[in-house]
Amino acid sequence: MIGWETGYDTLHTTPVFIKDSSEIQRLVWNPFCAQNLAGYLVKSPIVPRGEGSKKIGICVKGCDSRSVVALIQEKLVARDMLFIFGIPCRGVIDLRKLIPNQTGAKILSVRLTDDQVEVEHSKGLQHLAFADVLMRKCKRCRYPDPVIHDVLLGESVLPRIESHELYQDVAAIERLSLQERLAFWQTELDRCLRCYACRNACPLCVCQDRCIAETRDPKWLTQYMNLPEKFMFHFIHALHLAGRCTECGECERVCPMEIPVSLIKEELNKITKELLDFEAGLDLEGVPPLLTFSPAETGI
Amino acid sequence: MGKTDSPTEKRALTIIGFLCNWCSYGGADTAGVCRFKQPTDLRVIRVPCTGRMDPLFIARALILGADGVLVSGCHPRDCHYAVGNLYARRRLEILKRMLPFMGIHADRFHYTWVSASEGQRWQQVVTEFSEQVGGLGPNPGVTSFHTGNREEL
Repeated sequence: MIGWETGYDTLHTTPVFIKDSSEIQRLVWNPFCAQNLAGYLVKSPIVPRGEGSKKIGICVKGCDSRSVVALIQEKLVARDMLFIFGIPCRGVIDLRKLIPNQTGAKILSVRLTDDQVEVEHSKGLQHLAFADVLMRKCKRCRYPDPVIHDVLLGESVLPRIESHELYQDVAAIERLSLQERLAFWQTELDRCLRCYACRNACPLCVCQDRCIAETRDPKWLTQYMNLPEKFMFHFIHALHLAGRCTECGECERVCPMEIPVSLIKEELNKITKELLDFEAGLDLEGVPPLLTFSPAETGI
Repeated sequence: MGKTDSPTEKRALTIIGFLCNWCSYGGADTAGVCRFKQPTDLRVIRVPCTGRMDPLFIARALILGADGVLVSGCHPRDCHYAVGNLYARRRLEILKRMLPFMGIHADRFHYTWVSASEGQRWQQVVTEFSEQVGGLGPNPGVTSFHTGNREEL
């Protein structure tokens, strides 16, 4: 089964692949278990199915469970080969928010209480509200409870926001003028290194070594590090996720340059919701809207 | 852009037209055969079907500084391949709504349906789109922030 274990310090958890029940005590669950494990079902290193009828066990938070549903929808993984451990989630911590960048202080230890985070670092002791150090995706979480599970571990959690507040972050950008929006993305995407970490972390970016950002034929992107190439890469990433992105926020979490890349996908999700009334990763029988059509549609 | 004597100001528009082989390409041909007067800004690329249109074709053209992109195919329910344009219209509409979020004017992109017999309609579509793009002026692409110079690409 796939879960999380304590990493090299208490602030970090790493994925763990358990094959023997004697190792089960390695598993942990805490607000540092940020990584979405769903990707391991379809991306390298792919977790193989066990011998005979053995299933793959996977631990999922609310957001991760939507990725699993999306993978099942697209027939990339079969429901009957999974055993899903659903974990209602109060949110995971954005490590970048624990300590302001400028101070350069080193975190020594962290203690969590119900709604407080006590950070002890080399320049003293700091108390932060749990709600302030959450990842951006958690602050706008609509599905803290897994939407699919075989067993549910823990108490159900209430969503943090109402559905009409879901797209406040993209709405803030929509309020800017066209020039300001272009300038915003020019400034943000200018930092992009094209390390493709966002793509690699994405559980739904399943093309792997056939990704058109890297193929020579067709050659969509060159090696030049200029803005058009960076824009193009993010268009590729976002448009290939249109109507599929489950907003697990992995792309944004792994970005070494802290570019809010998932905003682009949120905007596309907002459009698909308005235009085609579809939300990704909720219904096992659902079909992603760009993989189908309706002759009856008018007005588009 | 600024001064009127800058070279970009005098530059003719670059509009890319993606036309489906079976309807709109024929429609454009009909317009030509009938000697309808049309703007000359359009560079036509023939595609087998609008279902072949990857929204990234359009994104790439606009990112690199094409002033406008026009996509035209068979009328819905009239597709040579039965359903290609039904897939296409979802993709194209989503792209059209997403472009302004990235700072690209949505009016630089237009998609429409023109059949092979509609020479007149083709003339009207091209003329109107060309005027619409002309009204927006040259597209600096996404690089203006650094250099304002598209030649650097």
